[in-house]
Amino acid sequence: MTQPVNIIMIEDDEGHARLIERNIRRSGVNNEIISFANGTEAMKHLFGADGSGIAQKGNALLILLDLNLPDMSGIDILKQIKENKYLKASPVVVLTTTDDSQEIKRCYELGCNVYITKPVNYENFANAIRQLGLFFSVIQVPPAAP
Amino acid sequence: MTSESQRRRVFWQILLFAAGLVVLTAISAGSVYLVNKARDDSKWVVHTIEAENQINALLLEVRRAESSARGFLLTQKPDFQSDHEKAVAAIVPALDKLTRQIGDNPAQRDSIEKLSAAIETRLDQFSREMNFVKQGQPDMATALVREASGGDITTTIGNLANAMIREEERLFRVRSANSDQSQTLAASLTGIGSGLVVVLALISIWLMQRSARLRDEAEARLRDANVNLETIVDERTADLREANDEIQRFAYIVSHDLRSPLVNIMGFTSELEELGGDIFRRVSSLTHIPADGPPLVPGSTGEFALDGPDQQLSADFSEALGFIKSSIAKMDRLISAILNLTREGRREFQPEKINTRDFVETIVSTLAHQAVEAQAEIHIEALPNIVSDRLALEQIFSNLIDNAIKYLKSGIPGEIRIRGRTKLGYAIFEISDNGRGIDAKDHQRIFDLFRRAGTQDKPGQGIGLAHVRALVRRLGGTMSVSSELNAGSTFTITLPIAWNATKRNADK
Repeated sequence: MTQPVNIIMIEDDEGHARLIERNIRRSGVNNEIISFANGTEAMKHLFGADGSGIAQKGNALLILLDLNLPDMSGIDILKQIKENKYLKASPVVVLTTTDDSQEIKRCYELGCNVYITKPVNYENFANAIRQLGLFFSVIQVPPAAP
Repeated sequence: MTSESQRRRVFWQILLFAAGLVVLTAISAGSVYLVNKARDDSKWVVHTIEAENQINALLLEVRRAESSARGFLLTQKPDFQSDHEKAVAAIVPALDKLTRQIGDNPAQRDSIEKLSAAIETRLDQFSREMNFVKQGQPDMATALVREASGGDITTTIGNLANAMIREEERLFRVRSANSDQSQTLAASLTGIGSGLVVVLALISIWLMQRSARLRDEAEARLRDANVNLETIVDERTADLREANDEIQRFAYIVSHDLRSPLVNIMGFTSELEELGGDIFRRVSSLTHIPADGPPLVPGSTGEFALDGPDQQLSADFSEALGFIKSSIAKMDRLISAILNLTREGRREFQPEKINTRDFVETIVSTLAHQAVEAQAEIHIEALPNIVSDRLALEQIFSNLIDNAIKYLKSGIPGEIRIRGRTKLGYAIFEISDNGRGIDAKDHQRIFDLFRRAGTQDKPGQGIGLAHVRALVRRLGGTMSVSSELNAGSTFTITLPIAWNATKRNADK
């Protein structure tokens, strides 16, 4: 586990991205955070130019995913990540405003590791993110399949 | 088809029927009359023939008497004498009969008088002739015969009789013609009448066929209209359903998307609050360099002292942020409420058999704590069991009972009653309290989303009753309130006893 874990944040709302980043930092997590404001760019980064995901082979990733993206559904991204042999071992945290039980169930079915509803109440929001930071620090992020 | 044309057709049919009846009656009467007349006419014809026969018979008897008298004169045989006597004896009755028979005709009466006179004269001559012959004086008799033929009595008799026969023949012709005419008339009348009846029947059949055709057409049109109507209703229902779904989706998406910026506003407001804290702490540390200690470290927690104007600034800052935060919190609650409503609106209901009394008791037990706090007693009376959606019903009852507890009059022990009864396939539930009541002008308003009534001293979003009413409607029922200010409220829910979700779900 010498390789540092990279946090990939796919979040179209800049404000949310900033708040998330701030609270992660406040919880003492200093890993690199790479943000993407739309699905297409994130997909390109994750799966590479050929779309096979081989580019991320051997990298330890943690993915923060918003479901409401302007160009594609976060569910689709989740599905593709979990279907890709190089990426499926990476933990995915779904972080979104949707608190519909059907949606949550769907995400867990597709293999999402944590589902967090963004609460409007900032205290709760900050707590959730900080706990996520705690989660990051205890979780063993496996490197992608060799 | 208009009722006007229908009335006209009925009128025509009645008229036709009446006309047919009149024609038939007329034909019957006319036929009876004409047949009677024809029989009369025939009788007269027969009478004429009889009279003619009688005249001929009389003439024959006269000739017989004459010829037998001559025979007797020539041969003096008693055979001729008896023959003559028989003939003379027959003449008088025959004459009498003839007189009776033609007594009706004045012209013939004259002739018969003359004939009678002539026949009498001739009979007289006969008797003298016969006497002369009996007395043995044939010459005298022969002279008498000569005289008689010279006097032309026989000729006169013949002429008179012929005249009478001619008269009778004339009468025969006239009467035959009459009789023929009567019969022709009767036949014509029957023919025309039958024709008329047939024509009327044809018209009637035509009218009936037309009416049947019109009725068929009207039926066809009605059928078409019904089919059209069903199609239209189906189309409208589909449109409405689509519009409703659209609204649900719209409300869902809008409330969702509203939440996203709200997270930012709230998040950065909190950040701002922290920044504000930092700034004012800094200001405090710069202005208050304590003489007896080290200056306050910026960012350190704890109280910090500020001077008059700076304190005012800090207070204003906090106040502004406080308003922003409370407004955001309120907005978030409203958005959540809308989200919950749309979620409820999209949920499929599952009807099941519910033991209503047990069910309501469970709800009441979950609210027992609030009831005790509000010093309220809840009485549950006998309730009819129904088939409905358990979750929806739970929300309905808990909302209403919760409201009843919430809006009691302070200082007066609350009394809440839950009653039930059935009527025509519907279960009627009443939840009544002795609470603060609702002004009549607010009875409609309390069911509107985000609207409340009365003193606003209790927390709430104005969603409960709107939600309850939407649920009741979806369960195929209705709800109403009767209440007066300060005199308690009664909420009445009418729900179908056996609600069938299949219809509604099939509609979906």
